Amino acid sequence: MNTVAEKKHRVIEPDSLIGKRIRKMDAPEKASGRTRYIHDINLSGQLHGKILRSARIHALIKSIDTSAARALPGVHVVITAADIPDQRPIGVAKDHFPLKVGRVRSQRDEIAAVAAESEEIAEAALKLIKVEYEDLPVIGDPEDAIKPGAVLIHPEPHGADGTHMHLKQGMSIAHKGKPDNIAMRFDYSHGDVVKGEAESDVVIEDTFKLHYVTHCCMGVSGMIAEFDASGNVLMYSNTQVPFLHKREFAEYLNIDPARIRIIQPPIGGGFGSKLDIYPFEVICLYLARAAKRPVKMLFTREEEFLASPTRQPVLLTLRSGCKKDGTLTFRQVHTLHDNGAYTSWGATTPFVMMQTFSSLYRVPHCDYHTAAVYTNNPYAGSFRGYGNLQATFAIEQHMDMLAQSIGMDPLEFRMKNAQDAGEVTGQGMSFKSCGFKDCIRTAAQRSDFSHKFGENQANQKAPGTVKRGIGMASMLHVGGGAKIYPSDGCGTILKMDDFANVTLITGASEIGQGSETVLSQLVCEELGLPISAVTVVNNDTAITPWDVGVHASRTTFIAGNSAIGAAKKAKAKILAVAAKKFEIAEDYLDLRGGFVIKADSGEAVIELSKLLRNLHFQDKAELVMTTFYYEPPSVHQDKGFKGDVSAAYAWGTQVVEVEVDTETGIVKLIKVTGAHDVGRVLNRLGIEGQIEGGVVMGQGYAFTEDLMIENGRMKNPNFRDYKLVTAPEIPEMDIAFIESMDGEGPQGAKGVGEAPAICMAAAAANAIANATGVRLFELPFTPEKVYRALHGKTPKLYWKPWKAE
Amino acid sequence: MTELKHYYAPTSLDQAVECLKDGDVTILAGGTDLTPQSQAGRIKFKHTLMNIRHIPQLSGITLEGDEIRIGALATITEIMEHPLVKQHLPVLVEACDHFASDQIRNAGTIGGNICNASPAGDTLIPLLVLDARVELASMPEDKLYRHSMPLSTFFVGPGKTRKSLCELVTGVRIPVPAANHVARFYKLGTRPALDISTISIGVAGCLNGGVLSQVRVAFGAVAPTPVRAEQTEQALEGKPLDAATIEKAAAIARDEVHPIDDVRASAWYRKEMIHNITKRILGHVAQA
Amino acid sequence: MSLKHDIEFTLNGVKRRVQVDVTMNALAMLRDVIGLTGTKYGCGEGECGACTIQVDGVSLNSCLMFAVDCDGREVTTIEGLANDPQADALRDAFVEHGAVQCGFCTPGMVMQADHILHKHEHPDEGCVKRGLEGNLCRCTGYKKIVDAVVACGATEK
Ligand SMILES: Cc1cc2nc3c(=O)[nH]c(=O)nc-3n(C[C@H](O)[C@H](O)[C@H](O)COP(=O)(O)OP(=O)(O)OC[C@H]3O[C@@H](n4cnc5c(N)ncnc54)[C@H](O)[C@@H]3O)c2cc1C
Ligand code: FES
Ligand code: FES
Repeated sequence: MNTVAEKKHRVIEPDSLIGKRIRKMDAPEKASGRTRYIHDINLSGQLHGKILRSARIHALIKSIDTSAARALPGVHVVITAADIPDQRPIGVAKDHFPLKVGRVRSQRDEIAAVAAESEEIAEAALKLIKVEYEDLPVIGDPEDAIKPGAVLIHPEPHGADGTHMHLKQGMSIAHKGKPDNIAMRFDYSHGDVVKGEAESDVVIEDTFKLHYVTHCCMGVSGMIAEFDASGNVLMYSNTQVPFLHKREFAEYLNIDPARIRIIQPPIGGGFGSKLDIYPFEVICLYLARAAKRPVKMLFTREEEFLASPTRQPVLLTLRSGCKKDGTLTFRQVHTLHDNGAYTSWGATTPFVMMQTFSSLYRVPHCDYHTAAVYTNNPYAGSFRGYGNLQATFAIEQHMDMLAQSIGMDPLEFRMKNAQDAGEVTGQGMSFKSCGFKDCIRTAAQRSDFSHKFGENQANQKAPGTVKRGIGMASMLHVGGGAKIYPSDGCGTILKMDDFANVTLITGASEIGQGSETVLSQLVCEELGLPISAVTVVNNDTAITPWDVGVHASRTTFIAGNSAIGAAKKAKAKILAVAAKKFEIAEDYLDLRGGFVIKADSGEAVIELSKLLRNLHFQDKAELVMTTFYYEPPSVHQDKGFKGDVSAAYAWGTQVVEVEVDTETGIVKLIKVTGAHDVGRVLNRLGIEGQIEGGVVMGQGYAFTEDLMIENGRMKNPNFRDYKLVTAPEIPEMDIAFIESMDGEGPQGAKGVGEAPAICMAAAAANAIANATGVRLFELPFTPEKVYRALHGKTPKLYWKPWKAE
Repeated sequence: MTELKHYYAPTSLDQAVECLKDGDVTILAGGTDLTPQSQAGRIKFKHTLMNIRHIPQLSGITLEGDEIRIGALATITEIMEHPLVKQHLPVLVEACDHFASDQIRNAGTIGGNICNASPAGDTLIPLLVLDARVELASMPEDKLYRHSMPLSTFFVGPGKTRKSLCELVTGVRIPVPAANHVARFYKLGTRPALDISTISIGVAGCLNGGVLSQVRVAFGAVAPTPVRAEQTEQALEGKPLDAATIEKAAAIARDEVHPIDDVRASAWYRKEMIHNITKRILGHVAQA
Repeated sequence: MSLKHDIEFTLNGVKRRVQVDVTMNALAMLRDVIGLTGTKYGCGEGECGACTIQVDGVSLNSCLMFAVDCDGREVTTIEGLANDPQADALRDAFVEHGAVQCGFCTPGMVMQADHILHKHEHPDEGCVKRGLEGNLCRCTGYKKIVDAVVACGATEK
C-alpha cells in the first residue's frame, strides 16, 4: 500500500503529450462497429419521413393531389406548402421555402413530404402524389443567367392583373423576388491595378473553369425530430453549428429557441456540408409536429447526391503581371459563380477567394469582382477549403506562367514574392507567425523539385509515350478562426471528480476530425493528467456551452484556447488549495503525472485525486468546476472587406509528381510532398490523418470527381460514375510540418483542417504542364480532357471579364 | 407484369429447368447485378424468384477433353485463382483482376456476367477471343435438354441475349489454347478495377515466326453488345506483326467501331482509344 | 403485401431463424430486422463497401445480396468479430495507426481487411490497396488504413 509519505518523496519526471501520436479517443468504439450514428438510432413510435422532389427543373406547380397518398394504409401525414401556412424562408439569402410554393427551380426541389410507418410505405405514398407542372425555360449555364432578358429564377411577384406588386423592402427574396439573377456580388480592391499593370514587364490573362463536386460524406444525411407533450423539440442532427441553428429552427417553428434541444450523434463525415440548414431538416420538423410522433428522415445515396450542397463552380478570368526582376505587380480577377437556384454558403466563398487573390504572395495592387448568379442548377454550399481551391488553381498556375515568361525558375519566383512574419497585406491580414518560405523551401528540397523540374522539361519532346512532371503550389488559409459572425468564440465547462477525472464540456462538435482528442490533450497538458482521465461531452446543446460551430479550421484554435483557459483556471484553484494545505507558495507548485508536485524538483506533494477528495469531503465542500470563454483577438472586415479576420494564418506548399500517358490521357499521381505550417503539431497521428485525407480529397477534385449537370439535371448521382479516389490510386505521401509556434495559438498551434486539399489541383496542373508543355485550365483532369488538350482539341477558354452593375 | 409470388431454391438442374418451363421466372445467382437493378426498379420481378446457387451441376471448373468447362456459378474469384485457368487462360485471369472489387468478385458469377449481357462485361471480351461456347439447359418436354452456342452469337443488345426465357445458362466451354497461342486484355480506366470499362480490348491468336493467325479481336463498351471486330481480324490474319500492319489494323479498328457518347466518355475519345490501345496491345503481342 | 420467406442461418456463431421479405437485401435484414447496426449503408449499390460482411468465409457486399440467400449459410458481421483474437489485433492496429476518423467506413474496412489477412499471410502494401479497392473512405486518404492492415499482417501468425 502506498502511503502519502512515500509518495511525497517520489519524483515525477516531466512529460508532455504535445507532438505525440495520440490514439483517437473514439476509435475503439468505431472500429468495433459499436458507435451509433444517426442512422443507427431508432426511437420507439418513430415514423419515417420521405420527400417528394421535383420531376422538373424549372416549372410552375399547377396542382398537387395528395389524396391517394393520404389514403394509403400506414401513412400518417402528408404535407405540401399549402399545409404549412406559416413557412418561413430559409437559407443564407432567405430565398426559398422548405416546401416549395408555386414554383420549382431545380431538380432537388421539395414539393411534398410523407411520414409513414415504414420507409417502404413512405416511398409508396410519394409515388401516389400527383403533381401538374407547367415548364419554364431552364437556365443551365451561369453565362446565360446574366444575358439581357434572361428568364428570372426569382421573379418579382405580379398581381392577378399582371401588375408589379412592389413588395416591401424588408421582405426576403422568397417573398419579394429579385429583378435580376444576381444572387450576390463582391467587389474588392487595394492599390491601383492600372498603375500595377503600367509597371509590369509581363502581363498575362487566362480563364479558368472549375467544376461541380460534392462532399460525399460516407454517412448520408439524416435527422430525427421529436416534440414532447409541451411542444419542446428534441432533434438528433448532424449540424456543424448547433447553437446558431437552434435559433433558426426556432424561428421556422415560431417558438422560443429555449425550447429546442439538439443532440448531435457521431457524424459520418462533415467537410462543411452541415453548415447550413437544409429544407429536409425543417420538413422533418414539420412532419413530427403534424404527426405528433418522432420522425426519422434519412437520405438514400442518390438523394444525397441530388439534394446536398456542392462546391461552388466558378468561371474565372485572371489577369496578372510582374516585372522582369520577378516582382509581382498586380492581380485583376473577375469571377462568375454558379449559385444554383438558391443561396447557401457557397455564394460567400468570395470572402476566402479574395483573401487568396489579395494576399497569397505579395500583391501590391489587386482588384477582385465576383457575381454569384442564380441558375436552375444544384445550389452550392460550403465545402472544406471554401473557395480557396478555386482561387489557388488560378493563382498558382499564373505563378508558373509568369515565371516562365520572364525566364525565371518557378521556385525562385515564388520565394521572391512570398511573405515573412510581420507583414500586413493589402487586405489587412497581419501575419504574426508565418512559415510560408519554410514551406516552399522544405517541400522543394524534400521532393528534389528544381532538379526534376528541369529534367522533365528537357524530356518533353523526347520519344516515349509516358511523361513525368512535377509541379508546385502553395496556399494561405485562415488558421485562427474567422470572424464572420458577431462572435467567433467558444465556451468550455470543466469539472473534476473525486478521482481526478476530468469532464470537458465544450461547445465544439466533433465531426470525425479528432477535436475531442486534441482538446483532451491540451487539458491534460495543463493538469498533468493522462489522456484517459478525460471524458469529453460535446454533443448536446442542453449541456454544452456556446460555440459558433465547426468551420473555418477553427476548432483546434478556438476551442483549444477555450479548453486551455478552463484548465488553467482549474489548475490555479487546485494549486491555491494545495499551497494552503501544505504551506508552500503556489508559485512553487505544479501539476504533473496525477500529482501536485514541487515545480523545481518534481517531488510529489500529494496525489491529485486525494487532494480533490479532501476538497469534497469538507464542511464547506469545494468543487473544482470552471468555465471559460475564449474570443480570438481577430476583427471584422470593414465594408471594403479589409481587416485582420483571423487570429492566425496557416500556410502550406505541396509538390505533386505525375506520370502522363500521352496515348490515353491517363494521369497517374505518383507522389505528393507537402510542407504545412501548422503552428505546432499537437497530435501527430491526428494531423497526419487530416493532411493525408485532405490530399486525397484534393486528388479527387483534380482528377476524378465530376458532378455532371446538364441543363439542371444531374447525370451521375451515384458512386459508379461520380468517382471518389480509391485505395490503389493514392500517391506516395511525404508530409512535413513547419512549426512556426503561433503566439496566440493553443500551445502554438494553428488550424489546418481545410489546408491540405487546397493546393492539389493547382500543383497537378503545373505538373502536367511540366510533363507535356500543355496547360489545362479546366478541371477535372480526366483522361479524355487531358487527351483532348494534348492533341490540340481543346479550344482556348475565354470568359470576358464581366462585373455586376 | 406479375407480382412476385414464389421464392424457390432448387437443388438440382432438373428442378430448375422444370421451374423455368413457364418462363415467368427471375433467376438469381450471385445477385450483384440483380440486387441493385431490382432495388432501383430497373427490372421487375417475374412470378417466381429462383435462386440457383444450390444446384451442384452449375459449379466447378474442370478440364473435359480439350475444353475447359467453367460452371455458371463459378465466381470471378474462383476463376482467377483456379490452377486450370491460370495455366491455360491467363487472359481470363487478367480480365478478372480488373473486375469490380474483391467483395464483388467473391459474389459475382460468370453465368451472371454472361446473362447480364452488358456491353462492358469484363469476362466477355476474353471469352470472345477464346472462342467460348455458352452451355444452356431447358426442359422443352419432360426431359432435360442441353445444347451450346458460340458466345459470339449469344448477345443481341444491352441485357439481351438469345437465351430463351425457359433456358438456364449452365456454364461456358473454352477450347484449351494451343502452345503458341497468345492473348491480351486491356481495360481502360484510372482505377485498377471497380470501374465500368470506358473501352476494353481483347486480342488473341496463334503466333508463328512473327505471323499472327486465327486472329480474334473483341471490343467492349463500343457497341450495344461486346463485339468481335472482324475487319480488324482480317487485317491481321496471316500477316507479320510489323509496324505497318499494326498501324493499319489499329486504323481499321477505329473505323470499325461505332461507340456512343455517355457520362464516361465521348464516342470520339472511345474511337481514339480503340486505335491507340489496339496498337499498343499488338505491339506487346509482337514482342511475345 | 410483399412475399415473405423463412430462413435459417448462422449469424456470428449463433443459429437463428428469421422471416424476411424476399426482395430485401441482407443489409436491410441485418440492420432493420435483426437490429445489428454495425454494418453500414453507404450506397446500396456495391460501390462503397461500408456494408461488407463475411459469408462462408469470404467477404461480400451485404447490399448486393438477397437476404433469402443467407439461408443455410454462415454469416459474420463486425459484431461477430468481437470475440476473434485476430480481429482484436486488427482493430487495435486501426486505432494505433490512426486509421479511423469519422469511422463510418471503418466496420466495412475492418471486415474486408480481416478477409485480406485470412487470404494472404503477410500482405504487402500493393496487395492491401487492391484488397480494399471496394471500400471508400472520404476522411483518411486510405494511407493509415493500409498501414494498419500491413502492420497487422506483419506481426500476426
Ligand atoms: C459495383 C459493381 C461493380 C461491378 N463491376 C463490374 C466489372 O468491373 N466488370 C463486369 O463485368 N461487371 C461488373 N459488375 C456487374 C456484375 O458484378 C457482374 O455482371 C456479375 O458477373 C454478375 O454475376 P451475378 O452472379 O452476381 O449475377 P446476378 O445478379 O445473380 O444475375 C445477373 C443476371 O443474369 C441472370 N442470370 C444469372 N445467372 C444465370 C444463369 N446461370 N442462367 C440464366 N440467367 C442467369 C440473372 O437473372 C440476372 O438477370 C459490377 C457490379 C457492381 C454492382
Ligand atoms: S452499401 Fe453496400 S457497397 Fe455501399
Ligand atoms: S473514416 Fe470517415 S469515411 Fe473513412
